[in-house]
Amino acid sequence: MCHATHDLKAGKENIMSTTFVDEKPTQNLEAFKGVKKVPHEEYYTSGHRTCQACESAQIMKLMAKAAGPRTIVLGATGCMYVANTSYYSTPWGVPWMHTQLGSAGSGALGVAAALRVQMRKGAMKDEPINVIAFCGDGGGADMGLNAISATLTHPDYNLLILMYDNESYANTDIQISGTSPYGANTSFSTPGKVKRIMHHRWKKNVAPLMIAGHPTCKYVGTISTSYPLQAMNNIRKALSIGGPTFIHCLNPCPKGWDFDPVLSFELGELAVNTGIWPLYEVENGNLHLYGKTKDIANGRFKRLPVRDYLLKQGRFAHFVEDDIEYFQSKIDEMWTKWLVPGVIPLQKEVEADDPPAR
Amino acid sequence: MGQLFAVEIIYRGVFQKTLAKNITRGIVLAAHNEGKLGISFGRYGDAPERNGIPAKSFAIIANDEQTLEAGMAQYEPKHVDLTVVLDDTLCKGAESWAWYGLQPVHHALKSGHTLIVVSLQDAPTLLKTIHRREEPYKLGILKGVTSFSGMWVYKDDHTDVRVLGAIAKALPELVSLKSVEKFITEKLKNSLKVTSTQTAYQRFTAVDVKPGKGNPEELFNFELLPWENMRNGVSIPGQPQGGPYADPVTKQTGGFRPARNELFKKYSTRTQRPVVNFSTCTKCTLCWLDCPDASFDVTPDGTYDANLEACCGCGICEAVCPVKDCVTMVNESLFHDNDSQWVRYKKDPHTYLKWLEKTIEMAEPDEKRSHGFRYRGQYQEQLPEALEVARKG
Repeated sequence: MCHATHDLKAGKENIMSTTFVDEKPTQNLEAFKGVKKVPHEEYYTSGHRTCQACESAQIMKLMAKAAGPRTIVLGATGCMYVANTSYYSTPWGVPWMHTQLGSAGSGALGVAAALRVQMRKGAMKDEPINVIAFCGDGGGADMGLNAISATLTHPDYNLLILMYDNESYANTDIQISGTSPYGANTSFSTPGKVKRIMHHRWKKNVAPLMIAGHPTCKYVGTISTSYPLQAMNNIRKALSIGGPTFIHCLNPCPKGWDFDPVLSFELGELAVNTGIWPLYEVENGNLHLYGKTKDIANGRFKRLPVRDYLLKQGRFAHFVEDDIEYFQSKIDEMWTKWLVPGVIPLQKEVEADDPPAR
Repeated sequence: MGQLFAVEIIYRGVFQKTLAKNITRGIVLAAHNEGKLGISFGRYGDAPERNGIPAKSFAIIANDEQTLEAGMAQYEPKHVDLTVVLDDTLCKGAESWAWYGLQPVHHALKSGHTLIVVSLQDAPTLLKTIHRREEPYKLGILKGVTSFSGMWVYKDDHTDVRVLGAIAKALPELVSLKSVEKFITEKLKNSLKVTSTQTAYQRFTAVDVKPGKGNPEELFNFELLPWENMRNGVSIPGQPQGGPYADPVTKQTGGFRPARNELFKKYSTRTQRPVVNFSTCTKCTLCWLDCPDASFDVTPDGTYDANLEACCGCGICEAVCPVKDCVTMVNESLFHDNDSQWVRYKKDPHTYLKWLEKTIEMAEPDEKRSHGFRYRGQYQEQLPEALEVARKG
């Protein structure tokens, strides 16, 4: 839809507006100024069948809290769909609908478009309503990538795609996804006596994929559940800025990563502090690193060794010294060789990659 | 039709998945040594399994193929000859998915048959939590530290073969000790494990539990809606918004209690619970904000009270609490209710704080009760203690 209209009577074309984008206003969600200002209301409450210390449920709770009551959530198939729809019951306090595994993008776009039509026809009150599609790494980084990409090129519709990343197809018992880290033990990469490392692919760098590929997208960012206030405020920013937006959240998964649930929060922090999970946002084309990631980039904080992160997880229990060193060297590369450290993996000189196990 | 046996293993999802599988597999392979046929399988309704949530695994054994087929035709066995509970906190009941409600652990156990519990507690203590029932049964305790590991790294502390030894003692018609020993020698090729299974067999005893004995608590249950009474389409009602509530002493309202899903509570997932010292709480909000289950009620005082109907006992609140000894995780088996700690504190702060101190003290030996992988080498460190208990029986 555009603002160009034809004045047939006058027999000439009248361009009403210079922009061809039909923008609708969003809810103006200002940042929460401190943890004490976070509202008490829960729109995703207790009674879901997730694991103990499920950080994916945690980001869902924070997302619902940040978005507030005038919100529609779409859930692509995954842990967070199955665990929230046990017999005739739900923890949701805002409307939630299931959408197919690969259709987080198209589902969100369709809902945003339908809302616009209903409002234009006067079938419902004309007001800004948040539309959020919540998809996992399997649904977002693998199967739904094309639909998300297409959606991010539609500037007319206000919506957010939030990808929660537990680094595997966790719902069906931990199969490799595009975001599973190098060497991790999964149902598809069980280490053996002959071959120790069964997963050789490096984690997909999803947010920069969205940044580089969709220049009209106004907001793309990464968040972590271990920084809940910042995560909520970034979600509020993404919902307020207008147009389609994308957020990638890392969620430690006690089941698939194999760790004591009490460590969930700590592992989220360690992922940031070791430099594996950089925190940043790209707002109207401007990149801001934030939190500890900013300190790492500025040299104010020395990255912790990756070993601290890896050895707390059963999925890396088969790693030998060489594997840990290789993992570390890949993270070092992110921070010392990349064109935009931690974010954009373009390099002037690429050295031969030589993993310790083939 | 020949004779058909069914064994049910109730275990903590993911934490004991491999252990339960090893036991049911062991039963079938040991029964093979007696010319019997069998199959072991996990309950379909438990998949996808979530960590901590009660799950079940079965072994079905028969003398001939036809009988086995008849046994396999069921979705899950309605009646079992033996129930094994791998974690004593499960004695409070198992709620797997919402439609089951809370079921007692001896839900499917035939009259007069044996319930085996892996525990360090004695029978009278366990009977405070195991619900009463009308048919008699036998309660046998296999002394042992609860064995928890995770998806990939297995803690091989001999619990699997010790349970097999206890099963051979409790139900020799199913499988004899000799057959179990043969299975371990031939398939597991571990002579230490043969000793462990023999010790467990020798030491294992069961006591008779008379009808009506046990925990009188009413089980949490609800009416399952038949399909014709459900709403049109596939829509279901959402949760209403919560609101402030009253202080039990001053009667002033304040704070915030979220609405709770009435059809699925999460407390049967819990193996430990947070106890809160309200007098040292700085109201920093972190436990409340970081709880994935939204289980904290904001009290009218501005402190945070773990709602024990919603808490699944993950321990994040203890991990993020900046005050020393404000939130402490304590073994769930010490408790027999889900009452609000804050209400108790408000009514009598002095008694509550005394109780709190005592409870934490009592729970201290259980601090080692780990819930899976924390660091490499941890299971090896825990092994001697578990094996010592196994040796003493």
